[in-house]
Amino acid sequence: MQVFKLCLKILYKNKGLMLIYIVIFLAISIIMSLTAANDSPTDALFNPVKTTIAFISEDDTPLINGFKEELARVADFADIPDETEALQDALFFRQVSCILRIPAGFTAEFMNGGNARLEKMSIPNSVKNVHIDLFIDNYFNTAGIYVQNMDGITQQELVTYLKKDLSGTASVEMKTNGKKTSNLTFLNYFFNYFAYSLLSIIILGMSTLTLIFNDRDLKMRNNCSPVSSNSMSMQFILASLAFTFISWLIMVILCLLVKSGSGFSVNTVFLIISSFVFAFCCSGISFLIGNLVKSRDAITAVTNVVALGMSFISGVFVPQEFIGSSVLKIASFTPAYWYVKANNTIAGLNAFTFDAIKPVLYDLLIVIGFGLAFFSVSLAVRKRNRSFA
Amino acid sequence: MVVNVRNLVKRYGDLLAIDHLSFSIKEGEIFGLLGPNGSGKTTAINCILSLLKYDKGEIEIFGQPMRPDAYDIKRNIGIVMQNVAVYDELTVYQNIDYFCGLYVSDKGTRKKLVKEAIDFVGLGEFTKFYPKKLSGGLLRRLNIACGIAHKPRLIILDEPTVAVDPQSRNRILEGILELNRQGATIIYTSHYMDEVEQICSRIMIIDKGREIATGTKDELKAMISLGEKITVESYSITENQISEIGNLPGVTSVEYKNNILKIKSGKGTNNLETILDYIRKENIHFGRIYSEMPTLNDVFLEITGKELRD
Amino acid sequence: MFMHVFTYRLKCLLRDYQSIFWTLLFPLIMATFFNMAFSNLNSAEAFNPINVAVVNNEEYLQDGSFKTALEKASTGDGRLFNLSVVSAEEADQMLRDNIIDGYIIAGRPIKLVVSKSGLNQNIIKSFIDNYIHTVSVFGTILSKAPGKLQDLLNDINNRVNYVKEVSTTSAEPDNIILYFYSLIAMSCFYGGFLGMREVSDIQANISPVAARINTAPVHKLKTYLYSSAASIIIHLAEMYILLAYLIFILKVDFGSKTAYVLLTTFIGSIAGFSFGAFISALVKKSEGLKVGIIISVTMLCCFLAGMMNQDMKYVISKNAPVLSYLNPVNLLTDAFYSLYYYDTYTRFFTNIVMLAAFIAVFCSGTYLIIRRRKYASL
Repeated sequence: MQVFKLCLKILYKNKGLMLIYIVIFLAISIIMSLTAANDSPTDALFNPVKTTIAFISEDDTPLINGFKEELARVADFADIPDETEALQDALFFRQVSCILRIPAGFTAEFMNGGNARLEKMSIPNSVKNVHIDLFIDNYFNTAGIYVQNMDGITQQELVTYLKKDLSGTASVEMKTNGKKTSNLTFLNYFFNYFAYSLLSIIILGMSTLTLIFNDRDLKMRNNCSPVSSNSMSMQFILASLAFTFISWLIMVILCLLVKSGSGFSVNTVFLIISSFVFAFCCSGISFLIGNLVKSRDAITAVTNVVALGMSFISGVFVPQEFIGSSVLKIASFTPAYWYVKANNTIAGLNAFTFDAIKPVLYDLLIVIGFGLAFFSVSLAVRKRNRSFA
Repeated sequence: MVVNVRNLVKRYGDLLAIDHLSFSIKEGEIFGLLGPNGSGKTTAINCILSLLKYDKGEIEIFGQPMRPDAYDIKRNIGIVMQNVAVYDELTVYQNIDYFCGLYVSDKGTRKKLVKEAIDFVGLGEFTKFYPKKLSGGLLRRLNIACGIAHKPRLIILDEPTVAVDPQSRNRILEGILELNRQGATIIYTSHYMDEVEQICSRIMIIDKGREIATGTKDELKAMISLGEKITVESYSITENQISEIGNLPGVTSVEYKNNILKIKSGKGTNNLETILDYIRKENIHFGRIYSEMPTLNDVFLEITGKELRD
Repeated sequence: MFMHVFTYRLKCLLRDYQSIFWTLLFPLIMATFFNMAFSNLNSAEAFNPINVAVVNNEEYLQDGSFKTALEKASTGDGRLFNLSVVSAEEADQMLRDNIIDGYIIAGRPIKLVVSKSGLNQNIIKSFIDNYIHTVSVFGTILSKAPGKLQDLLNDINNRVNYVKEVSTTSAEPDNIILYFYSLIAMSCFYGGFLGMREVSDIQANISPVAARINTAPVHKLKTYLYSSAASIIIHLAEMYILLAYLIFILKVDFGSKTAYVLLTTFIGSIAGFSFGAFISALVKKSEGLKVGIIISVTMLCCFLAGMMNQDMKYVISKNAPVLSYLNPVNLLTDAFYSLYYYDTYTRFFTNIVMLAAFIAVFCSGTYLIIRRRKYASL
């Protein structure tokens, strides 16, 4: 077990470096997950947080004032001067999520049944604006019906009717079966980010080992020893797994500490198991890379391509629902895709019958398969590298 | 005086690496710096080159005080370091050309100098090789070529023959003698005393940063009381005979181990004769018998009580 | 002397194939991945009908108009829902098994039961809300002007768009482009490794070659600058290849100010290089530690500049604006973005000036540290 012990010693000697990596990537993951969970496009919609907009009206009429009053239910108004640069700045820095401008003559045209339009400048793809859009649409279309079908209706009457009509809403009951949804969203994101954070830590960490052992003279000296190459490879793999396990443990413990006390559900347990399986796969990936890539600069570049790239197309940073299907097909050749898919399913589980868990088990089995494949390929590469040209 | 060092002191924290070292080197000398590992040879060299900060002392080269920005002095110095200092990404030719180019800017001159350097060290067949593909000896030759291509007046070599095959080693030593013949002053540090004995005109022995002895080979050997070492192979010598040998005129010490009799004598020309007479008189059977002159190791041993090579 | 040092350094760097290959290839691959991940974001998604159930209680069976509305929304090719009419217990079970996204209980008021608030759930709620509003409107109008029922039913289906999207600037504010800018910024800062190597190769207490150079009659700092010129040229070449790839092959739109984009990349490259050099000069320990610090700090800065999650940028600028100015990666990303988004150059030049300040700090720091002529130990 000499080789194994040596690996551990080298890793321990570099513990400062390892800790830097772990801390930084952990910090990134936690902050990302917190922001993502708070800002989740899905969680926010039922309890809309009031979004800040700029409201500029060139038309001062009872209709518009009534509209503004109703709008105040879903939006806060920021006081931005009507100057191009100030408006551009406000959008650029997200002080407001959109700018509504009522052109002069809007009301007159509207009340006459014409095609009046108000102008909106917004941040694209912003979920916060969805409510604003829906609201405007509802308000004016409903108002339009009145205008079409009640001749001679005054603006005050219109405003009063609209206020009454638009106040009705469906009553919503949320059945969560004891799942703490926001906590779960955080954990879901956090464990998804493992595809980037844990993988990077392990590849970078293991590279300190492999760069040393791949030194030509050391390799030759080691190959002359009576320790069989199989035994050496096995010991390396063991060291790789040990390092992976410790990093994984630290990440998980710190994460749970951050989000302690707010409910430890069965979903959480499954997420942890899933991440453990993925950690095993990470170990395989890093072992393969360590045996293939010899130069230090190349390793950092490869780390980014593999970890960041794989994460992007597998739905870690951009949810899988938003990624094109052809891209997902390519991503399905990477383990991260299956891991993230498993995590997302776990987060959505309400019951834990075998039927419900089956898809998760399949996904995780695929991840394990990837891990085993990586390890085997690495062993083959090592065998081939034993004799030099 | 090419090099003048006065009262050099260098500390590494609590460790006194150089202890008030003073020496001077004349033009045309091959000056040897001899001492065991850790005696401060490389440290002294690095101080002379103004690479290392030192605590006290004055260093002059070519009559001028040596400073890190004394470029005119540096132009005339060539250095061959203990660690091979070449670029792995450049070929043999490119490495020599690059370093020579830091001293000689004229392309035409440089081309000639580089070719001469390559021929000098015998790397003509390897010009397009990369350092990783060279054996230890060839690598050392490259290291040397990079240091001397610009034909400097003062050449400093720090343990240039470590891990070198005998053929390359001889070539290197020959080469140093040739460079000296061409007019260069040489400082040569080593812990191999046979090399130092072989080529150096003047030698300084140092230990623990302090000067032990300085002088030519003969002057150094004259410093010690040991004049001759006589070794006799014999299977049958009695205790009595051993102590009687010890009392012979000129004999300073006797030792008999493993059937070998080792006798140390003081200065004089009759030591061997005296001992042979005694052996014949006592009818002691002997196999081989030989006599050696003291080596620098003996000088070192006698002055410090330690061996040069431990 | 300049040409001599410069050309040899160039040869040295180009000879290191593996490094060049990967440092060039990695941003190209990342850009391709980004492109793949985002290509769908801006285009419309095919809509899949939502699975809903409604409880077949008394109120539902009696509420003709709601039943009609719901059924109408659940038939046909472009339908909104896949509707199941079931008992209350069945509905609850279907919800728990995630077969449906929610179920409706008719009554006054209409009730919706869900297990999470996702996009689909919101769509169901909007549908119900809309229905409630429409009922109210009909009620009001018909009480005042009966006989309008047919007109009303027609009008309900004619929805008019009252909003015109206007853009404030020459370009659409675009989230996706920010990712690409962050990628360019990150690649600029990965030039820090080249800077790191330059400093190592001139420090005699780190590499034997440096010791040789220190004994040569060349001014150390001049050698460092000439050598760095070679490194920067190589890095710039890689960056411009990346830009060309982005503009011509991935068709990323950088707006119309190409010259400024090239300038920004140039400054970014130097910023990254000098950053790496500075860290290398500061951290005197092993190469592994230097690399680790450069990677970690760069990734942290990239993260805070919004590369992995857009919102990070705004969270920082709202809560800790000083940080957003202290983050050189962020300054670089913003410089690109303001070129693209704004018509004026004020914001752009502010960012450039701050970047230049950073470069000055890094360079002077490096200078002060490496100008040391003698070392305490080699």
